Amino acid sequence: MKKWFKKNKWMAYLMPSFLFPLSITIYGLIMAIKESMTDNTGFSLQAYRALFYDHAFWASYLYSVRISTISTVLSLIIGILITRLLYQKLLKTEWKLLVWVPMIFPHFVWGYMVVLLLSQTGFISSIFNHFEWIQDFSQFPILLYEPFGIGIIVTYVWKEIPFVVLMLLPVYAQMNQQMPLVVKTLGGNEWNVFKTTEWPWVAPVLFETGIIIFAFILSAYEVPALLGTTYPKMLSVLSYEWFFYADFRYRPKAFALMVVVTMTIMTFVLIFFHMVNQKRYRMMKGNGR
Amino acid sequence: MVKKFVLVLLSILILIPVLLLIVQSLSKRWNYGHLLPKEWSLRAWDVLLSEQRLTEAIGWSYLIGILVIILNIFIGVLAGKALAHENFKGKSMIETMLILPIIIPSLAVAMGVHFTMIRWGIADHWLGVVVVHLIPTVPYSIKMFRNAFDQIGLKQEEQANSLGASKLYIFYSIYFPQLIQTIRAVVFLIFVISLSQYALTAIIGGGNVLTLAMIYFPYFSTVDDAVMSSFSLLFATLPVILFLLCEFVLRLMNPYKRKFR
Repeated sequence: MKKWFKKNKWMAYLMPSFLFPLSITIYGLIMAIKESMTDNTGFSLQAYRALFYDHAFWASYLYSVRISTISTVLSLIIGILITRLLYQKLLKTEWKLLVWVPMIFPHFVWGYMVVLLLSQTGFISSIFNHFEWIQDFSQFPILLYEPFGIGIIVTYVWKEIPFVVLMLLPVYAQMNQQMPLVVKTLGGNEWNVFKTTEWPWVAPVLFETGIIIFAFILSAYEVPALLGTTYPKMLSVLSYEWFFYADFRYRPKAFALMVVVTMTIMTFVLIFFHMVNQKRYRMMKGNGR
Repeated sequence: MVKKFVLVLLSILILIPVLLLIVQSLSKRWNYGHLLPKEWSLRAWDVLLSEQRLTEAIGWSYLIGILVIILNIFIGVLAGKALAHENFKGKSMIETMLILPIIIPSLAVAMGVHFTMIRWGIADHWLGVVVVHLIPTVPYSIKMFRNAFDQIGLKQEEQANSLGASKLYIFYSIYFPQLIQTIRAVVFLIFVISLSQYALTAIIGGGNVLTLAMIYFPYFSTVDDAVMSSFSLLFATLPVILFLLCEFVLRLMNPYKRKFR
């Protein structure tokens, strides 16, 4: 018995993390699925049927997926460009502190800053007016509370880029500095350098970061609740409202919506996981191992 | 040249919003079309600090945040150690599973456990809020500690082991001093995430657990930008204060810093 424990020490070490928060998460999800399939008569798929016939739901769905995808892709691309260009600088403490600055503000506070900057009477509009590029605030484009979700996207991209940079920094710090030179002596250009010496190391971290950001944006309530329009609403906002409706008949629908969001995220995860795993397999083959 | 330009641009993009908040919070009148406020005052800070429930909310935010941090460090160190230094079957699958809490929507989870928490009597209670705040935080801690243990390696522990050091002493004298950098980052990041939770706190706390986010949200619709700005800055101040406090505690606990200074 004692020997078994010694051999399987890892189980004891991992036990707390299995309890909190993994099992709570899985339990919560199972309960959500159960609630979504239960109404006052017992088992029923009525909530899903109502959801899929609801135009407001589909509008929200497209709106949310579009905002999440655009924000994620932009954050990843800009984040990797900045990291590539500046990682030697950013590894120094004073510059690293700069990247940490946006991290100390909650997302919704950052959203408020975006309002201060981008609203029609905001700081940027005010500057434009000061230099007489516009005569009146009504000439400044409407960037907030409009149906494309620009305000939400700007908030997320601005806030997630530092996160992407901080995730990628260790990868770039550990990278072999000689390899790019090898590619260059052999006549490769900047793209070849990236493709052959950086991408294999960066790709897994980039995919993981992308999934985390996508899942977060698709399901976070705070920013769209403050910066979103009344129609369409982001899925999380819709679900939160249904959950708190006085009319309890909306509850299964709120749960069903969150289950659909979860399925959407899991589908993306599976696709990416498949892609990364194929990559790894090819990499291992290439090394002759 | 390009590097310098991007670096300057980056600094501007990061610092401008923060500076804007500071100026806005100190402004009395800021007319449209002016680069700076016409009149300055501390009114907004006065209004904010005289908000009755503010001290209470700061207290709750700290209590919940610190508990969440302590649990995070405990769970994260153990899991990180196992993932970095042990080999076992299904390790990569378990590692993937441990990220699930930040992949599966926490809103769905909170709504799902809400009923159960009522039955256990921890809904509408700070204890329940602490538990749900573990969901969006622990995966990050595990990752960060895992990376740290990876870098430290196993060699030093083996040496101490062969010299007869106890498990606890090995942790205290070898791992802990080398983990301080990671603990700092974890304290900071986890506290900010805990501060940022409005929806989870509202669902599980049911309006009874008054954290800072719970008063910030209704404020958002007020037109007083100066007060909103000071409130926003307050959010950034709390983690900094906690960070300094934590720095002090870490210094006291560090077996090597104390003796040589």
